[in-house]
Amino acid sequence: MPVNGRKRMVTITINKNQYLAEEGEIFLLTAMRLKIDIPHLCYEKALDPYGSCRLCMVEVVTCGKTEMTPACTIKVHNGLEILTDTPEVIKHRNILFELYLAEAPKSEVIKEMAAKYGVTKTRFLKKIVHDDPLLGKCILCGLCVRVCSEIMGTCAINFINRGPFTVVNTPFYEHNPDCAGCAACARVCPTNAIVFEDTEKDRVMRSWSGTTVPMMTCSSCNKPFAPEKLMHEIQSRLDPQINEDIRNMCPECRRRYISRREMKIPIT
Amino acid sequence: MDERTLDEIIGRYPYPSGRTLGILREVQIKEKHIPMDTLKLVSEKLDTPLSDLFSLVTFYSFFSLKPVGEHLITVCMGTPCHVKGAEKILQSIQEHLGLSGDSSDGKYLETTPDNKFTVEIARCFGACSMAPVLHVDGDLYGYVTPEKIPEILTRYGWKR
Amino acid sequence: MKIQSARDLESARREGLIKIQPGRPRIGVGTSSCGIAVGGMALYERMKKIIQDEYPDISLVKTGCIGFCKEEPIVSVSIPGKSLVLLHKVQPDDAERIISLAMEGRVPQELALCKIQDWDHITGSLVHGGGFDGIKDYDEIPFFANQKKIILRNCGLINPEDIMEYIGTGGYFPAFKAITSMEPEAVIEEVKRSGLRGRGGAGFPAGIKWEITKKASGEEKYIVCNADEGDPGAYMNRNEMESDPHMLLEGMLIGAYAMGVHEGLIYIRAEYPLAIERLMVALDQARSLGLLGKNILNSGFDFDIQIATGAGAFVCGESTALAASIEGKTGRPRIRPPRLTEKGVFGRPTDLNNVETWCNVPVIIAKGASWFSSVGAKGNTGTKVFSLVGKVDNVGMVEVPLGTSLNTIIFDIGNGGAQGRRVKAVQTGGPSGGCIPVRLFDTPVDYESLNKVGTMMGSGGLVVMDEDTNMADIARYFISFASGESCGKCVPCREGLKHMLLILNRLIAGKGTVKDLNLLKELSETVQKTSLCGLGQTAPNPVLTTMQYFKEEYDELLEA
Repeated sequence: MPVNGRKRMVTITINKNQYLAEEGEIFLLTAMRLKIDIPHLCYEKALDPYGSCRLCMVEVVTCGKTEMTPACTIKVHNGLEILTDTPEVIKHRNILFELYLAEAPKSEVIKEMAAKYGVTKTRFLKKIVHDDPLLGKCILCGLCVRVCSEIMGTCAINFINRGPFTVVNTPFYEHNPDCAGCAACARVCPTNAIVFEDTEKDRVMRSWSGTTVPMMTCSSCNKPFAPEKLMHEIQSRLDPQINEDIRNMCPECRRRYISRREMKIPIT
Repeated sequence: MDERTLDEIIGRYPYPSGRTLGILREVQIKEKHIPMDTLKLVSEKLDTPLSDLFSLVTFYSFFSLKPVGEHLITVCMGTPCHVKGAEKILQSIQEHLGLSGDSSDGKYLETTPDNKFTVEIARCFGACSMAPVLHVDGDLYGYVTPEKIPEILTRYGWKR
Repeated sequence: MKIQSARDLESARREGLIKIQPGRPRIGVGTSSCGIAVGGMALYERMKKIIQDEYPDISLVKTGCIGFCKEEPIVSVSIPGKSLVLLHKVQPDDAERIISLAMEGRVPQELALCKIQDWDHITGSLVHGGGFDGIKDYDEIPFFANQKKIILRNCGLINPEDIMEYIGTGGYFPAFKAITSMEPEAVIEEVKRSGLRGRGGAGFPAGIKWEITKKASGEEKYIVCNADEGDPGAYMNRNEMESDPHMLLEGMLIGAYAMGVHEGLIYIRAEYPLAIERLMVALDQARSLGLLGKNILNSGFDFDIQIATGAGAFVCGESTALAASIEGKTGRPRIRPPRLTEKGVFGRPTDLNNVETWCNVPVIIAKGASWFSSVGAKGNTGTKVFSLVGKVDNVGMVEVPLGTSLNTIIFDIGNGGAQGRRVKAVQTGGPSGGCIPVRLFDTPVDYESLNKVGTMMGSGGLVVMDEDTNMADIARYFISFASGESCGKCVPCREGLKHMLLILNRLIAGKGTVKDLNLLKELSETVQKTSLCGLGQTAPNPVLTTMQYFKEEYDELLEA
């Protein structure tokens, strides 16, 4: 319980050492702050814990019994006891890494991460990558889908099919007019699987069935600088509204415009 | 599906619980698949993102995006059917109809080139006492053997 | 007419009794899904026509299923003052003779399976009478003799599409008793004392779950019935709903009153159209008698039930996936806590119980917790219905007290292997369970004992395997099933099961090595320990148990 608005500090035990930690905090974050290494792929601070990647599994000790639990789903409480590096944890984690190496054979991120924990080979049949819009790098952590719906409110992409046939893409694998081209999906992707490119006039989400979003051109320098739909969305939410003069300027021109105005240099 | 029929279906679901799947279930039963245009219409009418609906219809095995042929054959693959030879029943049907048995999205659904028969599998009908079982257009056949397949198919206009 | 008082209910009971024992011959035709599939409906239609044209004095009804699937279509003939006779394997051509004999107070002897002199409906009892000396008694048929029918108390004997017949056997009296004379807390206490545990497979005490839901904060709550019977090889719930839908509705009504909940949902598989239809009929009838809706039994209590259909996803048996599915989302389980009792359907506290759990409730209220807990074993009270299927002689639905041994179920009731083949093993608990070898058949069927031998109770499918069944193939079958039903959210289940399947395929094709066998075991353990929900956590059980009990069959597959 917060006391006077401050979080209560409690004692927890990690790998037999005692630490002070904030009550109610997600244990994965506590561990990260304490520089206790726990690999993870699907956790993102801005979203609720999802628990799909299973890499952050640790052992929770209760009454002498241990139970494998993902660190991102454990809330810190007084007397919490965790083991992060038991043979059991390592054994299962290594198999999970092998599964990831087979599922996303082209991902350098996965290779490096697995190697860091001593896994350099997989005994499982690697997925054959052929025409994969996600380049053989997707591990289906779901971050892109969740960012698109929960943060952006767009819902342009989603999971398709189920089980081993699950993929992420747009409905009917078609250009999706709902997409705002914000590319938050690409930024949040832990394995850099999502590809998009900005052309003269458009942002093309290559991974999402070529979904194309027109770019807004700067009213000053005439260069494209951000997806139109996204800009309108942002502008509609701003209060007070941006001054008409600089409304449709790229950030660079806007900066120059404002500094010139402040320095009283004539604007051309 | 025309808009009026869809409106009628939607009208039958005043409560939020079970609404979306109930509506899609009726579309599936009526059209024998989920047409793309209908799904888009449902998305507009329920004010639900199309990506969510597409996710639903590809997740649940009751729905199919591919149209089916004149007759739909569903082979039960439940455990009692399996131990009593359901695999051989399916193979026999595929051989007689010249189907490959391949699936790319985890849902097996294959139609003959003449559009006469579509074959699919189901996880369990709950008619285990008569295993192995299959449905043709909703008619249940129990205690099926590979030898009985030509006779069953013939009833639905199959010619050797 | 609305039932508003004890007198109303009593007169409804008398009306119902007259339907069951009309004082003239009554013929009941088994028309649940399996009965229909072997010709039950054709038989019913044939009889209907003959009776309409020639014998208007005979009462003809559709009944549910008495559970002896092997003997379907089953027809019951009741002559006033005489035993009720069950006829088996009845063909449409037998219709004429059955009817004309019934008019003379007789039955076709060669079609007779057995006779019932009196019947304990638990909530009431019926005396049919004597006679028919040449026909075996119900208790003399081994398939029936070793069963104890509490849940299936009415199945196959009453018309599931007529609420009056349910009331005629004492139905809705328990609900009346609970609502008009018991405090909600007392109802919960009774269910707690009965020791009733969740019949969906996990075995959590139902009364405690009710208590947690009642205490959960939030004005609006749901109670939900899980009727998404997804285990391949299990059809108990289908039969219960098709044969006696009101026992489910009454159980939910009593639960709703106890928990103070006003909205109920039945989440049912889309693959069960007849059960859905009969539930709809039952709901309408209950509403028209004021047993659902506003001011139930004139008590001021409001409660109604809606039906939500599933769409084919085994994973939706998992509670959080089920809730998501009701909300119109994909059935991908979420991490727990919070549990459903705290945050369930549309974020409201939700009590989720299996069909059969609900069906036990009216009995507990009618007969009391002590009576209920005297049936079964300590900590495993009451009965459980199983679908006894696969390579067993007497295929059917059987109800036995918990703690009954597998031997009794498979050999005494099931009469051993079909066509004289030797029984080798039985799979319990569906894809989440395991295969138990015949040498362990003295295992009592209760939640804990089954766990001890590496399997689980599950919802009640018992699939018998004989000497011709290859156990590695069975393991592959279940892994293929689980992989196809995996939601794909977490990697051990999505990818792990896929690779288990690939390894099993390699082994069965004769191309596997000892390394493959070891990797299969290692991977099984990781999938078990690291999967997000019960589907993945239990999916390796069939592999692990067959590797444990039938290792030699795997060794035989290895490359020389």
